[in-house]
Amino acid sequence: MTDTLPPAAVDRELGGCPVMHRDFSRAQAAGCHWEQADELRESSPLYFNTFAQGYWVFTRYDAVRDMYKNPDLFSSASITPWEPDPIYRFVPTQVDPPDHIQYRRILNPWFAPRAVDGAEPRLRDLCRRLVEDVAPTGGCDFVTGFALRFPTEAFLSMIGIDPADADIFVPWVEDFFAGFGGDPDGVAAMAAALAGIREYWVAALEERRGEPEPRAGDLAAHLLHATYDGRPLTDAEMLDMLTVLVLAGLDTTRAELGYMFRHLAAHPEHRRALVDDPELIPSAVEEVLRYYTIIFGDGRKVTRDVEFHGASLRKGDMVYGLVSGANRDPRAYERADEFVIDRKRNHHMGFANGPHRCLGAHLARREMQLAVREWLRLIPDFDVAAGEALVERGGGAMMTLTHLPLVWEATR
Amino acid sequence: MRLAIDGAGCMGHGRCYQVAPDLLTFDDEGYVTVRGETIDVPADQRVAAEDAAGTCPEQAIALLED
Repeated sequence: MTDTLPPAAVDRELGGCPVMHRDFSRAQAAGCHWEQADELRESSPLYFNTFAQGYWVFTRYDAVRDMYKNPDLFSSASITPWEPDPIYRFVPTQVDPPDHIQYRRILNPWFAPRAVDGAEPRLRDLCRRLVEDVAPTGGCDFVTGFALRFPTEAFLSMIGIDPADADIFVPWVEDFFAGFGGDPDGVAAMAAALAGIREYWVAALEERRGEPEPRAGDLAAHLLHATYDGRPLTDAEMLDMLTVLVLAGLDTTRAELGYMFRHLAAHPEHRRALVDDPELIPSAVEEVLRYYTIIFGDGRKVTRDVEFHGASLRKGDMVYGLVSGANRDPRAYERADEFVIDRKRNHHMGFANGPHRCLGAHLARREMQLAVREWLRLIPDFDVAAGEALVERGGGAMMTLTHLPLVWEATR
Repeated sequence: MRLAIDGAGCMGHGRCYQVAPDLLTFDDEGYVTVRGETIDVPADQRVAAEDAAGTCPEQAIALLED
């Protein structure tokens, strides 16, 4: 359960805004975060949460969208509302316009649809091999057996790193997000993981430095030759970029895959629909991103005093847009509380909105499409194994199923 | 019908060319190629254009009736 304590006294005028005291960082039964988001959104469009130094929570689609679309009011200097002055600075995640777009222009082509199209045969092979490995066994923990491996190998392959290095990266990413999500016991492990990832990239950059031409398809080599505003990137910039790419690329798609396959396990009619009509796979994937949004909420730091969707914000305040609530907001969607497999006009914010729109969105959705296609080809029917109830990591970072035991009829 | 894409609003989500592949396509960075432009919509692409406008998370696509 989420800690729900009596709210602390707040020594400022909140204009009648409801006050709560909630810690969203704890692991919970799978699906609980969306239930909470629904409850918060329907009870009030706005809260002040007295957790940590205190921050505003916007629960509905319009306000969350406007937060994302106004980076002049809402800085990304901190994206974690209980951490207004973080020790890390991710580039370009925590860079505001106008500098932000210059970094994005260096990175965008690496994860654009054209690049993903070019990599697709390779990604399909990686995916197919993993499914072929598990299909004859009749069951596996989907998270460790597939969902952690496929996006990691696919991502490393996209940036020119040996997919076998997945074994090195996966534990670091797990440790990082345990601490990032607000678990005080995880902070030391988070720092160690960050140090490990940085050392990996320091060595990779050293190995490539001085080469006259960037190695083809190798992002680290490309950064060594890239320019920002007419000058080379600094080592600090390159390390910040590579580090955040690893963290973002390895943890997120894994989480969406978990929820997608849990949904498919529970809905044979949807499995059948996708087998019968694979053209439905893209819209099904977008609906997973809307209905099972893994960003519980996204934080920003207020740049000046301003009235915004009913709140009197002051410079330096932290705000939290409840993305998971917004994506199920009946004011924004018809049949918002239903999984509509062929939903067409699906303007979800599962990849955020505004200038910080997820860099890896095109890759992530392609991985999800490939995973469904390749899995259903060999394993058209499967169930969640009976046993312990499923648990999801707390909403402080991204929600993710810690385990998902699946069973099916072994293929041979 | 014409379709106008707000160049400052488009963030390259790629939803429009996914739902209207016969009307819209992408550039090397993943933005729709006609960002900041207004294009004519052929009669057989009206529904696709409406789907594209309805699916844009940035609400950057406007439809203009002739």
